[in-house]
Amino acid sequence: MTDSFILGLSSGSACLVTCGMVMFPYLMAGSAGVKRIVIDLSLFLFTRFVVYFILATLSWYFGQALFSNPVVRNIVPGILYIVFAVMLVWYSISNSRNPKCPAEIVKTVNNKRLVPIFLGVVNSLGFCPALFIILTKGATQGTLLQSYIVFLAFFIGSTLWFLPLPLAGKIQKKEVLKTIGILATGLAGIIFMIKGITNLIGGIING
Amino acid sequence: MDSTLLSSTLKKSFGKSLLYTLPMFLITFMFMTGGRPNFSDTASLAATLIAFLLVNVLYFLMHYTGKTDRYRVVLFIIFALTLSFSLIKNMVAVRSSMSFSQADILECKIPFCHLVIPMMILPAAFTKSIIFPGSILNGFANISSMIVLWLVATLVLGRGFCSWGCFYGGWDDGFSRMRKKPLIRNINEIWRWMPFAVLIMVALTAALAMMPTYCAWICPFKAVTEFEQVTSVESAAKAGIFLSLFIGLVVVLPVMTKRRTQCSFLCPLGAVNSLSNKITPFTVKIDKEACTECFKCVEVCPIFALTKDDIKDGKVSMLCSKCGKCVDVCSKNAIHYSIKGLPSGTMKNFSRNLFLFVSFLFMSVFSAGAIITTLQSLLKLIF
Repeated sequence: MTDSFILGLSSGSACLVTCGMVMFPYLMAGSAGVKRIVIDLSLFLFTRFVVYFILATLSWYFGQALFSNPVVRNIVPGILYIVFAVMLVWYSISNSRNPKCPAEIVKTVNNKRLVPIFLGVVNSLGFCPALFIILTKGATQGTLLQSYIVFLAFFIGSTLWFLPLPLAGKIQKKEVLKTIGILATGLAGIIFMIKGITNLIGGIING
Repeated sequence: MDSTLLSSTLKKSFGKSLLYTLPMFLITFMFMTGGRPNFSDTASLAATLIAFLLVNVLYFLMHYTGKTDRYRVVLFIIFALTLSFSLIKNMVAVRSSMSFSQADILECKIPFCHLVIPMMILPAAFTKSIIFPGSILNGFANISSMIVLWLVATLVLGRGFCSWGCFYGGWDDGFSRMRKKPLIRNINEIWRWMPFAVLIMVALTAALAMMPTYCAWICPFKAVTEFEQVTSVESAAKAGIFLSLFIGLVVVLPVMTKRRTQCSFLCPLGAVNSLSNKITPFTVKIDKEACTECFKCVEVCPIFALTKDDIKDGKVSMLCSKCGKCVDVCSKNAIHYSIKGLPSGTMKNFSRNLFLFVSFLFMSVFSAGAIITTLQSLLKLIF
């Protein structure tokens, strides 16, 4: 448990950069106060917790098979990345230029209350090396409970880095920062899209 | 354009203009020759003389005609062209190619450029690592000298660095002047904040990947400097991205919009320089009493720093690169160079003279090496 916590803590700064890349622009793009941001951040972290819980279960059940199969490893996350990235870019564009979104699913994304949950899912599924280690660790645990404990320790360690994020709300009132946040969210979407396409191509070539 | 008032306030007599040029004359002479002109090498002497005359004639004309941007841009474009030429010449001499290999990266042989600076801050702060594969102290375009140069310039000029010191800006500035009238006029104001979004993203991704992501994946100016050898699908994709961005943002869009679109929509260093505009002593102000709200300045501003609302409010935004285009076009001299603390509309000439001296001296000294090297090569080629 300790080494999982340490791994979470040591990789937390990288997680903050990865997740902050989406979360920070979103917080800047919002128009609510600190209270709203605390709620959004809590939802974001809770979603990550739930996704980790699911991942712990899956990793324990499927174990090594998940990593040995390149089709699952590359194509599925690739498709997810592309889908979520398109939604992120659409969220950015629809806020700044076209508030009326034709697609029902994007209307769901544009629902501000669901955005932190959506972002939590996107970022939890960012298969960084540290998460791969934890997945491997979870897969090799003797019992399902032990796998949960490993993921919980990792979650706590990495979450500590996110706690100062509500302070970002202190500067969110300005229209300029809101615009920058929206534009940065769109750029994050493009980055995830490139990552998704790269994963897909890699998956097709290797598969 | 009615230039009567402009002429009466900014234009100087021939003798007075010469007098103002004298300090520039002496300082540039010292910098270009080191105080000892080399008479033994004819090409070198001729190149130095041409460069010396060029900068001083341009500076003289700025004072004599009262126009700033018209002459600034000449040296700015020459700077960009000659810097690319001298850099490529150096790369070809060292590597026989414009491209660099993985071995060059591992041996830290990549020349440093100021655009990397925003990406270095987070990794340097958290891991004490310099993420750029260049030399810290030695060799051509080393990291420390470039950082010091940029830091001094940005603290004094703010975003003025982008119009007076950046050796890339001349490319899109040049292309933006190729048409008389723009083909695309209406561009949403929100896009002018894009460099800040790019800054956030490249700073975070660079910290995550521990590599200068902007240089590796985006920078359009690799097309006119150096680039990674195409040896894989990834390097081919990178080449495709930087070439597309160069053609799109540095060539096509500037021609179509008559704006510096790369500087306006992409450059993350421009965002950092805009922030330093807050602390620099030099600024551009609007004299509300003289302003007739003709909005000619808004139309010509190459980097979207001015909007109609800004003019109505009597404020120039933090994005201003102090290029002087708005100052040149204002027939009432309502928009003018100023020094922080001075009320708008006062000491216009003094502020302009002081700013021009500092900014033009920086550009002259910074560009001299590239101009002389290029001229030397051309003269040797011709004769």
